[in-house]
Amino acid sequence: MNLDFLALAQMAVSGGLMGMAYALVAYGFQLTHAAGKAVNFGQGELVMLGAFTGLSLSGCGLPYWAAVTGAMIAGALLGWFVERTAVRLALQQHNEGWVLLTIIVGLFWFSAAENIWGREDKPFPVPWPESALDFFGISVTWQELAVAAGALGMMTLIELARRYTMIGIAVQAVSADQDAAELCGIRSRTAISLSWAVSGIAAAFAGTIIGPVTTVGPTMAAALTLKAFSVAVVAGLGSSFGLLLVGVALGASENISGFLLGSGWREAPALILLIVGLALRPQGLFGKKIIRKV
Amino acid sequence: MFAGISLGLRENTVERIVRTAIFIGLAALPALWQGQYALGLLTLMAVYGVLLIGLDTTVGYLGQINLAQAALFALGAYGTALAIGAGASLPLALAAGIAGALLPGAALALPALRLEGPQFALSTLSFATLSIIVLNECESVTNGALGLSISRPLLFSLPLDATSFYWLCLALLFVAWEASKTLFRSRFGLAIEALRDSPTATDALGIGALRHKVLAFAWGSALAGLAGGLHTMNFGYLQPAAFGYDLMVMLLLGVVFGGRRSQWGAFLGAAVIAMLPNLLSNRTLFSFLVSFGCVLTVVPPIRALLSHKVPLFRQAAPAIAMTLAVTLVFFIPNVEEWRKGIFALFLFAVVVGFPNGIAGAVTATLRQFIHFTPLPILPATGGISSSKKTEGIALRLSDLCKSFGGMRAVDNVTLDIGQGETLGLIGPNGSGKTTLVNLISGLYTPDSGSVEIAGKRPVCGSLMSAFSAGAARTFQNLQPFHGLTALESILVCQQGGGESEAMGWLLAVGLEGKARIRCSGMSYGDLRFLEIARALSTRPRLLMLDEPAAGMSKPDIARLIELIGSIKRAGVPILLIEHHQNVVAELCDRVAVMDGGRLIALGTPNQIRRDPKVIEAYLGADDTERDNMEARQC
Repeated sequence: MNLDFLALAQMAVSGGLMGMAYALVAYGFQLTHAAGKAVNFGQGELVMLGAFTGLSLSGCGLPYWAAVTGAMIAGALLGWFVERTAVRLALQQHNEGWVLLTIIVGLFWFSAAENIWGREDKPFPVPWPESALDFFGISVTWQELAVAAGALGMMTLIELARRYTMIGIAVQAVSADQDAAELCGIRSRTAISLSWAVSGIAAAFAGTIIGPVTTVGPTMAAALTLKAFSVAVVAGLGSSFGLLLVGVALGASENISGFLLGSGWREAPALILLIVGLALRPQGLFGKKIIRKV
Repeated sequence: MFAGISLGLRENTVERIVRTAIFIGLAALPALWQGQYALGLLTLMAVYGVLLIGLDTTVGYLGQINLAQAALFALGAYGTALAIGAGASLPLALAAGIAGALLPGAALALPALRLEGPQFALSTLSFATLSIIVLNECESVTNGALGLSISRPLLFSLPLDATSFYWLCLALLFVAWEASKTLFRSRFGLAIEALRDSPTATDALGIGALRHKVLAFAWGSALAGLAGGLHTMNFGYLQPAAFGYDLMVMLLLGVVFGGRRSQWGAFLGAAVIAMLPNLLSNRTLFSFLVSFGCVLTVVPPIRALLSHKVPLFRQAAPAIAMTLAVTLVFFIPNVEEWRKGIFALFLFAVVVGFPNGIAGAVTATLRQFIHFTPLPILPATGGISSSKKTEGIALRLSDLCKSFGGMRAVDNVTLDIGQGETLGLIGPNGSGKTTLVNLISGLYTPDSGSVEIAGKRPVCGSLMSAFSAGAARTFQNLQPFHGLTALESILVCQQGGGESEAMGWLLAVGLEGKARIRCSGMSYGDLRFLEIARALSTRPRLLMLDEPAAGMSKPDIARLIELIGSIKRAGVPILLIEHHQNVVAELCDRVAVMDGGRLIALGTPNQIRRDPKVIEAYLGADDTERDNMEARQC
């Protein structure tokens, strides 16, 4: 009995730590949604490309930190590219086309990654030891700690920049009202592009911290998009603290249900909760209800 | 520019002739293009046709990104396979397939369709992932990842060979096509179109957004189930992995590529995704097609350059994508490997270059060259007639309160409107007038107090319930159904009656000459009149007009006064929010004044004009007093 409990706790802790990474990718959704009311349905592909870029750079003999920085620069460019080529065009036409265009651009990235890096999953080398730490019988690997610390650090950094720098405040102004912000001399387009670039940075960075745990391959994209998107929508597209809670809960629930029901059922309980949760609270657990004005 | 050919036929008739010809041609095709493989492809195209017509009901008509169609297709396929395993005949097996998709589809629709945009997309995506997990893991029923093999059942004790099965699929595609088309041209289709533009207005006018959405989604699911059943019988082997994310993306893109909100579009998209793997393996044909597409996309930027303008990015983007595709096709040795990438470039060019898909672009071009006979306009009947005047109260509000955060928008309002009475509601901006109308019409739920409309107490916070009690309203910020014509906007709202009655309502507001003009192309003033006609056509027992004269020109205001006067003479009780003094003075029996959420005065227009509290609310306090206050602040 005690052993079972310990095993469950072990599952919950390692799942929860991975869930931090989902929260980070979900944070990318939140950034672009706040700025321009659009999200990237190909965000998982950006995570994958970030991981691959990091992998290639460390393959060239660069140290880990340089490879991660390189991946983040690539992520920024890719995020900006998606906004420029797909989202802005669709929003000019006033339709839901942006969903499709982001899927299409993601499809292209997927195909490109398959052909450039191959279809096999690859390990991602890291400087820290493979060993695990022991907390009251629950073992935590250095890699898992790195995922949690990285995700938390990145989110804190971006959130601080959003709240306390002039540029961050300008971006918030654009989220509140684009036209009013423009009348105050803020370039809305630049602010939105910037949000997408930062969202790309978050995604690519997430790739470099998830990669060492899960290995890197083109197929990691689709599953990650779904998970991160779930976290973002369930938490509500406005609360960054909610993201962390929901991300950790999702990661833990996956691991526990995989352990109790078998690995095939890993994602099932979270999905059912997701549909029910959305039906009961469409604005998300931590979201504010929108008042319809007519 | 071009004179254009006049066919002397209606567009609908021409479409039907062309479609029938194409189906006859397709049915005859196996005689010319022989071989088991070709037949398999043609059958697959017909099956995908049914599936995509189903997907188009949500993606096109409802305007929501539906990512569950591939999973519903799988559920239908497994339903049929299991029925065949239990010894069902062909029609019964297909029915099992339809039920297999329809039931889970309806179960998903009820919660999911309360959501919109990304949330809806996510709930369908979750449903799809969940379905595939269930199919994979319930091994005792579905045989899991190993897959299920079935043989085609008999049709009324007759064995079907491949060609007859193809004809069966083609016939079912034709039926699904015709049924969908009829469905979306009926009042049901108009309602779907209307709720995409303004779900608030459809609920407030009693059309019922959720009901229509669920039915449309169920219809799409049923078609997915039918397609799934046919797919099972065509392939004879099922595996959950075949219905995953890849298929879903292909289906979605197929609909967009062909053209949304069009059965032709779904059919073209189905043809493309069925033939695509084949196209890619035939390198010569594929290179030709991609080059041709590239030439097409290069036209707009070159045209811009010729008229000495820098082409917009939107014009140039498809050309850039197609050039990249051509480069890949001609310079990459393993084109098969880049299949998805090239397809993505192709789609990018289509979505950006032709937002309405291939079908949309072709229809628009044809309409330029061919003049079809326009639909006739029926003579108008009906119009504003006197309603059954009953004694009593049309609207009774008691102690109504509503706060937003710390702001009391409506504060203890108690008010009656008698039968046949016109009550004006005035007050400075932000005094709570529109909030009051929103509370009465059920858009907001009151914090306390009650609303009684024509003797009935509607459920608080339900637009539909307030409508059934007899309330109808117009909106201060217009809520037109952009995609519908003026006539259709009335048809979708009116309770019973046909086109002639709808014309009668248009005549009553003076829009009879604009019956076939889309709302997106109408002027602001016309749309205001159309909103009144919409509300009138529901034969309300309480009509609420929220600033009908806002933004109107002087002659239009004169027309409006005359119109409201005739409604009033017909005995319809009216709650009229208005800023224009002459409108209020001329029409209202009594005037209520709001300020800061409170009712500060109630009386005849003449009494109100002299009321010191009203003067203060509008013009501010006495000058000397204000000077004193300013002095004190300094």
